[in-house]
Amino acid sequence: MLLSMLFTFFKIGLFSFGGGYAILAMIQQEVVIKNAWLTEAEFVEVVAISQMTPGPIAINAATFIGYHKAGILGGLLCTIGVILPSLIIMMIITLSYLKLKKLKWFQQVFKRLRLVSVGLIAAALIMILGNAVQSLFAVAVFAVSFVCTWKFKLNPFTMLIATAIFGAIFGSA
Amino acid sequence: MLLKIFLTFLKIGAFTIGGGYAMIPLIKREVCSRHAWITEEEFLDGLAASQSAPGSIAVNISIYTGYHIRGKSGMMMAVLGTILPSTFTILMVAILFNQYADQAVIKRAFSALKPAVVALIAVPLIQMPKKCGMNLKNAWFPLAVAILVGLLGVSPIYLILLTIAYAIFESRR
Repeated sequence: MLLSMLFTFFKIGLFSFGGGYAILAMIQQEVVIKNAWLTEAEFVEVVAISQMTPGPIAINAATFIGYHKAGILGGLLCTIGVILPSLIIMMIITLSYLKLKKLKWFQQVFKRLRLVSVGLIAAALIMILGNAVQSLFAVAVFAVSFVCTWKFKLNPFTMLIATAIFGAIFGSA
Repeated sequence: MLLKIFLTFLKIGAFTIGGGYAMIPLIKREVCSRHAWITEEEFLDGLAASQSAPGSIAVNISIYTGYHIRGKSGMMMAVLGTILPSTFTILMVAILFNQYADQAVIKRAFSALKPAVVALIAVPLIQMPKKCGMNLKNAWFPLAVAILVGLLGVSPIYLILLTIAYAIFESRR
């Protein structure tokens, strides 16, 4: 179990291009669909919690899921698993980035991967939409938080804390 | 020196809430202006390299900066500093959450938090296409990724490998 978690998060780390939300589709597929370590509802909760605590979302999610399934050791192992590929690859890139960035194929790969990231964020949205927005109340919260984040540039942390307080008072259990 | 690197990144890790992107300005101020460990140009190169490597951008740029300042041991200090506060916080939250997840007030809060998370993912989806050079001609590409991953459950791993292979082929023609 521990080993398969370490390996899964290593894989997630290795293929998580584009940072942040682009990683979510990958985590969801491995954790919810393939291994069933979390239900879909729990996954959305983990994303919310990961955004309300300091640090990158992928690492927070890894630690949380690891703890949830296998205690503190699981949390630490999943964290290590998800950053290990970054350590290895960044070390190589740091040494040779100035040379690499002049190569045409290198530029082309990242130009294309950026487009994949957009698609992966859309995929994450599709995957959690059905579970997260089921009531009229949810649609209203979605609309307000969307406008606050997009138009009024409210930062995610403030927005989520305000939403949590609002939900605790007016939400449904 | 190593301790100073560790403490600086510890501060960065502890005070950035809301995901990796929020960390970038803080890291830049600490390593370029306050400590003058690397030049602004080196930082920008590092940022570009961090975006092309897999994993969280905040962790990648810490790896890059740490390595630049003091080789492998600097790199380890920077990474540890960046992730320790968030790993600790999320572990605490995970422990509490496991105990109190069934409380009505927590459930009510999450009934509002879930649609808010959907909004958080939807906003970059609107802002990103411009930044990554999406146009009518190549929009099919992220669209196909979204459908394949989000609706048909294809693993992002295959799409990423395929994209890399295609981009290299494209640049060789």
